[in-house]
Amino acid sequence: MQHMAVVAQLVERWLVVPDVAGSSPVGRPPIYLVRASSVTPDVAHDTSTSVEVAPDVPWVTIVWNDPVNLMSYVAYVFRTYFGFAKDEAERLMLLVHNEGRAVVATGPREEMERHTEAMHEYGLWATVAKASDG
Amino acid sequence: MRVSKKGDEIVLEFAEGESGVLRSLVDQYLEVVASEAGDDPSHARLFPAGYRDDDEAAAEFTRYTRSGLVDRKAANAAQVSLALDEETVRLSPDAAERWLPLLTDLRLVIADRLGIRADDDDVPETPAGEVYAWLGHLQESIIVLLEAP
Repeated sequence: MQHMAVVAQLVERWLVVPDVAGSSPVGRPPIYLVRASSVTPDVAHDTSTSVEVAPDVPWVTIVWNDPVNLMSYVAYVFRTYFGFAKDEAERLMLLVHNEGRAVVATGPREEMERHTEAMHEYGLWATVAKASDG
Repeated sequence: MRVSKKGDEIVLEFAEGESGVLRSLVDQYLEVVASEAGDDPSHARLFPAGYRDDDEAAAEFTRYTRSGLVDRKAANAAQVSLALDEETVRLSPDAAERWLPLLTDLRLVIADRLGIRADDDDVPETPAGEVYAWLGHLQESIIVLLEAP
């Protein structure tokens, strides 16, 4: 990019909203010491719990369209986290993009919350819902 | 900026000033993420409600997930930031993958500041808009190269 030094001056402290800008580094939680953990890849279905689950499991994880995330990144997350094949990840990504949302997982509520939390860690906009609402 | 692949490694060669801009953004991001819930409008997107039509369930979801998400997002950003001391950064595939959620989060915060709320909202031709597009280009390049043979 051109004129990066100029840009550097302009963006300096720009992300931090005014009421946060005055906060001292001393006041921050010691987050720099927390060991880095990448998002743990997961598969869509945990077979070990399937025997306890009714056939019509009533919860879903929904991923919603947003104007920020790149289509390639959304498909990447679906492949990496849920273990979807490339075509399926692409299909779901396009569903999100064109229809505004897609159900990416179905199962017990706790598991759907875990998936939703993982999506938030990836920066995707996801929610949990009853299957009938989704 | 030039992004390439050498063997398994993703190599980022920053032009002058670029890694400094990125480091500054990551430092600010760490403050944004760690700030009190509700202090920053971008939190609505960094930590979205887990339920749409059930405020009680959404509050419960936030209670159980928020601090873990804050810690992991911050730890990931701090880890990435360590690599930004050099103009040339070599990343293992695992390390490169850690950059992707951070690049998305940086774009989410900038989009909030720029008022980008819908697919057809224009990215302004300002320095911040340039940085927003540049971060997207970096993210796209890393994704493409991670999948390249």
